Amino acid sequence: MLSEKETTIIALEEDVVEFTETKPTPPAPKKEAKSVDVKDVKIAAKKTAPRTSKKELTMLAKAASEFAKKMLAPNREENDKYPFGPFFEDALEKAFGVDFFHIILPEDMNGMNQGMSALSVTLDNICQEDSSLGGILFTNAAAQELMIQAGSKAELERICSKETVRDFLIALPVFNNPSEVKHLAQAKKTGDAYTLSGSLEYMVLGDLAGQAIIPASIAGSTRYSYFLVDLKDKGISKSEPILSLGLHACPAVDLELNHVKATLIGQEGKGSDYFEKMADRLHVAAASMALGVMKGSFKEAFDYAKKREQGGHEIINWSEVKMILSNMAIKISNAEMIIEKACKAVDTLEAKWETRSRAAALHIQDMACDLTTDGIQLLGGVGYMKDFGQEKRFRDAKHIQALLGITPIKKITFIENMI
Amino acid sequence: MISRSEIKSYLSKEPLFDDMTCSLKATTRQPAAMIKETRKIIELARRFNKEVIEPYALELDRTMQKDPDYLPWEFVKKANEWGFFTLWIPKIFGGHGYNIPSLSYFMEETGSACLGLSNLICVHYLAVSTIFASWNLSLISKLCRLVAQGEKTGVPCLLSTAITEPGAGTDVEEVELVDRGKVACSATKVEGGYLINGSKVFISSGHVSQWHMVICYTDLKKPSENMIILAVETGSKGFSFGRVEHKMGVKGCPASELIFDNCFVPDDLVLLSRDHTGKQKRGVKETCGQILDYVLASSRAGVSAWGAGAARGAYETALDFALTTEVNGKTLANHEWAQSMLAEMYKNVCIARLTYIETNYANGMYGLFKTIQMKPLFYYFKYMPMILLDKFAPMILNLASTTWLFRKIQLDWQSDPEFHRTAGWGSLAKFTGTDMGMKNCQMALEIMGQSGLRQDRRAEKILRDSKLLQIFEGTNQLNRLNLFKCLVAKNNPMIKVFEKE
Repeated sequence: MLSEKETTIIALEEDVVEFTETKPTPPAPKKEAKSVDVKDVKIAAKKTAPRTSKKELTMLAKAASEFAKKMLAPNREENDKYPFGPFFEDALEKAFGVDFFHIILPEDMNGMNQGMSALSVTLDNICQEDSSLGGILFTNAAAQELMIQAGSKAELERICSKETVRDFLIALPVFNNPSEVKHLAQAKKTGDAYTLSGSLEYMVLGDLAGQAIIPASIAGSTRYSYFLVDLKDKGISKSEPILSLGLHACPAVDLELNHVKATLIGQEGKGSDYFEKMADRLHVAAASMALGVMKGSFKEAFDYAKKREQGGHEIINWSEVKMILSNMAIKISNAEMIIEKACKAVDTLEAKWETRSRAAALHIQDMACDLTTDGIQLLGGVGYMKDFGQEKRFRDAKHIQALLGITPIKKITFIENMI
Repeated sequence: MISRSEIKSYLSKEPLFDDMTCSLKATTRQPAAMIKETRKIIELARRFNKEVIEPYALELDRTMQKDPDYLPWEFVKKANEWGFFTLWIPKIFGGHGYNIPSLSYFMEETGSACLGLSNLICVHYLAVSTIFASWNLSLISKLCRLVAQGEKTGVPCLLSTAITEPGAGTDVEEVELVDRGKVACSATKVEGGYLINGSKVFISSGHVSQWHMVICYTDLKKPSENMIILAVETGSKGFSFGRVEHKMGVKGCPASELIFDNCFVPDDLVLLSRDHTGKQKRGVKETCGQILDYVLASSRAGVSAWGAGAARGAYETALDFALTTEVNGKTLANHEWAQSMLAEMYKNVCIARLTYIETNYANGMYGLFKTIQMKPLFYYFKYMPMILLDKFAPMILNLASTTWLFRKIQLDWQSDPEFHRTAGWGSLAKFTGTDMGMKNCQMALEIMGQSGLRQDRRAEKILRDSKLLQIFEGTNQLNRLNLFKCLVAKNNPMIKVFEKE
């Protein structure tokens, strides 16, 4: 008897996954062969954790790419519409079923125990089609990483045992570094228990997840702490999903908290430490999201330039268009190299791995903003319209740039860490 | 002692003295009363921003995201009540006769509050420019007076310009390209008029306009020599609206598809045809190019003003955030890096503004506004009582000889260097101003972080709106090439621009 998760994996394989590269011997009947291959991915991954071999990464990339093409691309425009929702439930369930949300989790939490290379390659391929799911994956991974850094193993295990994706997901205000702009709730300690009150802006996945990690200050302390709350708590009221620039299907809400029961994550006053440690690792994943958007934008522009005629021939024959496309391709090629190097540095804890991760994000997110504006420009008027994906990629790239805090401050922090 | 010929020789080197001194020359030649008028316009725009645009812009943007087919008629009526559709129509044609360069300041001001709503008001003047560039005075008078009548009756009468086609965007804005483009909107001569067939797309304000200046072609095999401009009224048989485009931004101003299916337009609604362009001294193709550039040299200055508006809106939003947000324990505006970024943004606004101002000087000295900004005519129309103008103007304007004379002055008497100067500056202003707009929007979002992403904090809307400015009225890539053609390649026969590669 197959478990629900295994059934989901097989269903997805039937739809989207073809691991032909992993079948050197004559293939068995199609369905079985595919099923075995997906398991192989997981087994191989577990053996080699946290580093992932190139072959495994290729397989993961292919799985993510096929998934994105099948599950995300056809409904991209629909999922981007306002008012938002329902938030591609089907795609979420299937992504959950094939463990895209388990990539960085340890084995004993039913995770894949993979490093940033695996997460990055997944995000890259997902974001080529629709970075909203990338935003959900990233936010959840950031929340998991934060709990890992804080040593909140028991709480994380409890969450990871949840069987539905909504119960499993963790919301996090992932665009704000609470040390910079103090969007904080107030925590009150009574005995060993905590309650939170106040308001909190822009809680990503706040309307989707089962629980949230909330930064809050405890009276008398100058430093903030992180707390876990159940988003079904009666003391929490949520705004409508916030109308934002991009990542429309990765919704955020504002929260009002009124004496909400909370569990401390890690130690009191250590919030900033946990955030920075999490950010050290997750920056390269944010860079990978930007890379995925860049690739999607380039592909659409390249295909369009080969078809669209101006001045009597296809616009790709105009040297100015070639120049723009070339600049886009060069950016992508450089970004790929940087991310590969940075992921390796993070996964193997090379010297200065934190610097590599942050530098990759700051540089590639900048490039993505430039590239996606050119991506619209090459399509002219239609690039500005909802019918094509370019305008969404332009919005998403700028949105992704804001992950983990205010960009200029991230740059200042970068150099301060070197001083 | 240097000789006269030597002086002339030095001054004729590139950049030409006249190309770099438009504002210097204009300061003494243009009427001083323009300053007072401009002051009044800026005050009016700021009041309108406060009372109408600011309370409405974000709400409309949100409404349009829910319902992209929504048409903001209530705003059109409000703008009509404020008199914005006639303010820049000369008094002799029934308008209020404010100087045209002051329109650019108005565009910057209103654009800084909402590019979409500013677009909805001001794109009407792109059509006014189009009909003026034809110098068909009797038809100009007729159409402008309908607009003025619409203001009096409270039933807005907006004008639109329709040029872009599904298969041809950049091509239709450049006579050197149009013969190689996939133009498909034709006008066939029949008894008493023309039949239009085809469609136009991305027509700003199409759905809310009463009259449409349709630029199409009487021979699709050679459109550069067969351009025709026809005035088509909404409701005409054979004319219908297609879809409203679903855009990323500038949602306040609908971008429309216009569909023509054997739409008959009588001869008296022909603004310009080969019959007219063929009589000008430059020849048909060159005159068509000159007319397009007349319109574009002025409209591109306007788009640059919107770029300045976008840059300013982004700057003001970021400044407001920096003044009210504490970062790392102190007000953001007190961080040196933030001060430096905000100073850069302030500079970008000024650069954008300077380019549209200089282009307006060029147009006033050498281009579309030259005649109406001549001091005698300017003051004559400014102080002549409306009652007299209304009584006598139509009689004069309906004379064929008056149209002939104005076309002679504006088209034939414009020298090639003047033509290149205005068109070149128009392009320079367009891509500079709009690039500045985009630059500031990107910077605003970077400074604001999470807050910049939210529609209710305004910055992300300005970014979405601003991107369109780099695309319409000729992409910035086309405008760079046009600058090169007009200001660099003009005296060098070995340089070919828009040549097939």
